[in-house]
Amino acid sequence: MIHFDNVTKAYANQGRPALENVTLDVEKSEFVFLVGPSGSGKSTFLRLILKEERPTSGRIHVAGKDLARLTNWKVPLLRRRIGCVFQDFRLLPNKSVYQNIAFALEVIGKPRRFIRKVVPEVIDLVGLEGKRDRMPDELSGGEQQRVAMARAFVNRPMILLADEPTGNIDPATSIGIMKVLDRINRTGTTVVMATHDAAIVDSMRKRVIELEYGKVVRDQSRGVYGQAY
Amino acid sequence: MRAQFVFHEVWIGLRRNLTMTIALIVVVAISLSLLGTGLLFVKQVENARSYWQSRVQLSVYLCSSPTIGGSCAKDGVVTSSEIAAIRQDLLATHDIVPGGLTFETQAQAWQQFKSEMSSNPALVKYTPPSQIPSSFEVRLKNTQADALPVSEAMDGVPGVSHVVDDSTVLDQFYKLLDGARNAVVVIAIFLLVAAIMLVANTIRLSAFNRRRETSIMRLVGASNFYVQLPFLVEGLIAGLIGWLVATGLLILVKSLWLNSLQTYFPYGTTLSSADLIEVIIVNMITGLLICGSTSFLTLRRYLRV
Repeated sequence: MIHFDNVTKAYANQGRPALENVTLDVEKSEFVFLVGPSGSGKSTFLRLILKEERPTSGRIHVAGKDLARLTNWKVPLLRRRIGCVFQDFRLLPNKSVYQNIAFALEVIGKPRRFIRKVVPEVIDLVGLEGKRDRMPDELSGGEQQRVAMARAFVNRPMILLADEPTGNIDPATSIGIMKVLDRINRTGTTVVMATHDAAIVDSMRKRVIELEYGKVVRDQSRGVYGQAY
Repeated sequence: MRAQFVFHEVWIGLRRNLTMTIALIVVVAISLSLLGTGLLFVKQVENARSYWQSRVQLSVYLCSSPTIGGSCAKDGVVTSSEIAAIRQDLLATHDIVPGGLTFETQAQAWQQFKSEMSSNPALVKYTPPSQIPSSFEVRLKNTQADALPVSEAMDGVPGVSHVVDDSTVLDQFYKLLDGARNAVVVIAIFLLVAAIMLVANTIRLSAFNRRRETSIMRLVGASNFYVQLPFLVEGLIAGLIGWLVATGLLILVKSLWLNSLQTYFPYGTTLSSADLIEVIIVNMITGLLICGSTSFLTLRRYLRV
């Protein structure tokens, strides 16, 4: 599903590349934790998958597509197959829960009938029944993140990228968020989650890829957060 | 769905940027109405020119009394044999429109003088009919080229007082109109430049105001077209409203100002409604082109996917 082949990404005016000779594969419906200290290249990894950045060298395939050969006007089509969740939720403050989720479908031109059908379904999936007309500022952090996950998942993407989704949320609520991510993963969606949260990584026992200074230093199935040699 | 969504976004954009939008509309309206006024001027001058082209003539004034001076002082009042000689001379040596040579007697000239000066009875009263000169009215085939040679040839011929070329009088009038038109067009161009910058700024501000929305749109895979269309439509709508206001102003300019010009100068200056409509259409194309292309170029810079 995601294939990196000897990928290096160097930003201008920076000595050390953000990613260096990274080669890895993420299979369909896998759940992968991306761990490592700040500046280790996790965000760059996610941005490369979305083609928000181009690699300095190496090849990237996402959902069977070679990103280097993807023309600019086809990038939106790639992004429709990838959902994204962030630490800061990125909801529209002047739209309700329902409108925030529907927005993601409206802007890709989905018919209204389709939107009316799938948005309530996904609201149920993330556990926000009965809160469809709340505004984001009336929701807790955990609930806002559920809205963001619903928005990322409503178009049934093949891949869900989560950049520290529990970074702003207390540990008890984080468990709920992880349950939703797990539920999404079980529908066959590949999930890649960058995180600092050791407790979550340790409890899930999923594949762990650790980055340090832009290099993969560990790639372990059923891994934990800390070093485990 | 699509249309409804786009127009909803446009409405939000216009409302959030209300002051900028109003400024944009006002500048577009004023620049377009000035441009239109300039274009109406051009048409007016064209009309007047073609009207006068066939009518300009040369007036060869004959001596009515020795007191006029010049050759008249030497030769005295023109005699009938001199008149015949002048007629012969004009017909023989110059390229005159068939039937384009008429003789205006002193009596006829005085009648005309009286009717033209009817608002000034004192002048009419103290001007004796004998002071008004008789004249030959000459219509040349090629006024521009031949007017000067004719007046030079006639200068000093016994009985001729002086020659007046109508076109030199008209030229001054044209210069006045041309000058006014140029001034209006130059101001319009400056304002159009200001309008272009305002469009760019308004769209930039609008894009900045909605950066949250656009970043999410990009993230969930909205096409460039979808992300940019609301902004483009926003620019076009402002341009369209500006054009409507300008159209109203132009109709006012035409009906109040240009029409009153016609009552003061009623010779071939009439502007038809067709002329006005043509100018209004040119204005619409200019306005939409400026707003649309500027929005489009601004978006390419500020809303990259």
